[in-house]
Amino acid sequence: MGQCLRYQMNWEDLEEYQALTFLTRDEILCIHDSFLKLCPHGKYYKEATLTMDQVSSLPALRVNPFRDRICRVFSHNDAFSFKDVLGMASVFSEQACPSLKIEYAFRIYDFNENGFIDEEDLQRIILQLLNRDDVSEDLLTDLTSHVLNESDLDNDNMLSFSEFEHAMAKSLDFMNSFRIHFWGC
Amino acid sequence: MSESSASALPSGRPSRQAFIHQESLSLDSSCFSSPPVTFLQELPSYRSIARKRTTVLSRDKQSGTLLKPTDSYSSQLEGEITENLDNQSIRKYALNISEKRRLRDIQETQMKYLSEWDQWKRCSSKSWERFIEKAREMTTHLELWRKDIRSIEGKFGTGIQSYFSFLRFLVLLNLVIFLIIFMLVLLPVLLTRYKITNSSFVLIPSKGADIQCTVYPISSSGLIYFYSYIIDLLSGTGFLADTCLFYGHYTIDGVKFQNFIYDLPLAYVLSTVAYLALSLLWIVKRSVEGFKSNLIRSEEHFQSYCNKIFAGWDFCITSRSMADLKHSSLRYELRADLEEERIRQKIAERTSEETIRIYSLRLFLNCIVLAVLAACFYAIYRATIFSQEHMKKEIDKMVFGENLLILYLPSIVITLANFITPIIFAKIIHYEDYSPGFEIRLTILRCVFMRLATICVLVFTLDSKITSCDNYPCELCGYNQKLYPCWETQVGQEMYKLMIFDLIIILAVTLFVDFPRKILVTYCSSWKLFQCWGQQEFAIPDNVLGIVYGQTICWIGAFFSPLLPAVATLKFIIIFYVKEISLLYTCRPSPRQFRASNSNFFFLLVLLIGLCLAIIPLTISIARIPSSKACGPFTNFNTTWEVVPKMVSTFPSSLQSLVHGITSEAFAVPFFMILCLVMFYFIALAGAHKRVVVQLREQLSLESRDKRYLIQKLTEAQRGLRNRLD
Repeated sequence: MGQCLRYQMNWEDLEEYQALTFLTRDEILCIHDSFLKLCPHGKYYKEATLTMDQVSSLPALRVNPFRDRICRVFSHNDAFSFKDVLGMASVFSEQACPSLKIEYAFRIYDFNENGFIDEEDLQRIILQLLNRDDVSEDLLTDLTSHVLNESDLDNDNMLSFSEFEHAMAKSLDFMNSFRIHFWGC
Repeated sequence: MSESSASALPSGRPSRQAFIHQESLSLDSSCFSSPPVTFLQELPSYRSIARKRTTVLSRDKQSGTLLKPTDSYSSQLEGEITENLDNQSIRKYALNISEKRRLRDIQETQMKYLSEWDQWKRCSSKSWERFIEKAREMTTHLELWRKDIRSIEGKFGTGIQSYFSFLRFLVLLNLVIFLIIFMLVLLPVLLTRYKITNSSFVLIPSKGADIQCTVYPISSSGLIYFYSYIIDLLSGTGFLADTCLFYGHYTIDGVKFQNFIYDLPLAYVLSTVAYLALSLLWIVKRSVEGFKSNLIRSEEHFQSYCNKIFAGWDFCITSRSMADLKHSSLRYELRADLEEERIRQKIAERTSEETIRIYSLRLFLNCIVLAVLAACFYAIYRATIFSQEHMKKEIDKMVFGENLLILYLPSIVITLANFITPIIFAKIIHYEDYSPGFEIRLTILRCVFMRLATICVLVFTLDSKITSCDNYPCELCGYNQKLYPCWETQVGQEMYKLMIFDLIIILAVTLFVDFPRKILVTYCSSWKLFQCWGQQEFAIPDNVLGIVYGQTICWIGAFFSPLLPAVATLKFIIIFYVKEISLLYTCRPSPRQFRASNSNFFFLLVLLIGLCLAIIPLTISIARIPSSKACGPFTNFNTTWEVVPKMVSTFPSSLQSLVHGITSEAFAVPFFMILCLVMFYFIALAGAHKRVVVQLREQLSLESRDKRYLIQKLTEAQRGLRNRLD
């Protein structure tokens, strides 16, 4: 675990990242420093990538039941560049707008990536949340049917993006819980 | 808070269970089976929504068929996005950074084609946004205890974090209240007293009041024992009574500056009104922030399954143990919700005789609750009277401990009552047969009311003692000037004692109960007793009630003791650190977690109840009881409130008649009727909207059924065509 060439981020890049993400200056610099410590030896930070395993074993994501989905959604070609990390931190930052968070939450919860959250996705979400292998079928079907009762407006047993958006707009906890502080920034 | 009906579905909606039955029955008829997802993705509605979500470029994924547009399609999408770039800032788009950079370049090239005015407008709006952001960044640096609260959030979850955020809010609130009082009342007095500005006090001799009322006996300081200073510090008597801590210090009618006379009595009253109004506005603003989305709900449920499953996991948890706890708490919560559903159905299926039995039992138990409350209030009443009567005896002749006991008797009785009644309430509610969620809420509400009403009872007792001279209403001065020559100071002293005692109790409980418990449980865990007892859990409702109790005392006491908000600020800062240390070192997280959204609303509701209960005794003291003529800024007025009408009478006559008109009944009654009419209109409007929403939902599900039917027919026709061609 060597260190990248210690190029300081130039001021224009910092300004650009600030304009394009929801992160503050301090947060971007903090992420930059931590990224430098993790990326492979001898590479410029803009070209270095982190593997999915490295990112999912970060302290912020280590205990998250959805870490695999998060890594898949935010990575490109199964690797994380610096921009990908910034994008991920921006979506999970406190200042991000609700529409952005809802968009990425939908992508994260769509386990089979068919553009809808169907019953299979819901069951997998519940299993991840409960973190137990011995969940009874009844409990799963009960919970899935309750969720679909509340948010499936057109009765097709799936949640489309607008139905999910509508449900999350009414949900009080969503903005509070969909936050991650990467690297203690 | 009413129990909702058995069905969790909104009325008028076709029942889902019935629907699923139909589906399974008619699979053969193939009218309602779900079409394949790929088909749905080709529908124009799906595509236009995807366009709005701006997944512009395709993603290289092996599986998954998130929109894969062709080249022409992507440029068309980009064109659509760039048209809207004026309205939305780029960072809100769900794209990665290189794509956003491209969009920004496109936007900048677009700028060249705009007129100069539009260019200037865009530049200025951008720089304004950047300025706002920098300001926001600055304020987050100034945020008090940011790191501490973040680390608590990571280790214990957002429920407990919301308690500490609430505590921080109260610290800020008290600081601002103190600043208001300082600016309006303390500053002129201090400037004059220490000769910083060239001003002098204006002392108007009281006219018309009996000379007996203005006598303020100075307590003779004979042999002063060393511990009398400690007693004075803890109870606000003696050397503290004449300092600017209490009302009696401000026996000034005005401050004469070079160009004008600063009316101190008016400033005193206005500062009281100002801090009450500010507290109300700030609390309402904070509660509305979290509550806005709740207002548009059509269902009654406060906690929906969607909320718990999609927003159930706190993404900011970093410790393994906390994560395990969160998993188990989610398991518990979801099971409890399903259980509650079942209980609610059972309740709805009750027979009428069972209902009558339950309601009569509940009535009886509520009477018991009222009796318990009445008993506590009576105990406080007697304790206060006893304490007041014995305080008048020679304090120096008493033993140190007995002295302190009598001085603190009301506080002790209140604390005991607050300790015993929750246990009684918890036992009683067991028999009332409510659903579990409702049980918790009702118990908490009863405890809140109990805790906050005790302070009111204390103040009312004091007021009744002050206005009775040997059991008859006082005629000479309106209040008992022999026992209470300066009654506001004495009420202020009671409030000061309550506050100090509260702080001492919290410190004592942490030091002598929490830490020993932790030590015993860790090191003597072989003993069955300690194993059962277990480690302390951070009980959020009790802690919140504690600090709301402290804040209510501060609100009531700030009128009688202008420095009390400063004392409260220091007290809450100490409590923050004590609670944080206690949490980190002695508590284990509770398996039953409080949700943050629920918590914020609950905390602010309790605080609002406290504020309302604080305003009642204050209004009575200000408007009804005659102000003391021996001390304080209101020696020349009958009651404290009289300052305001006197000020109004100095206005020009047109303004005077306006003010008189607004405060007369001729204005108030029509105003109230108009308000009622407006409220009824909005209620009717909300009802009409609800009905429209229900109709639209029905229509949506019918449309979806039609869509699936048509897709089914289309697929069949395609299949038929293919078969015929083969």
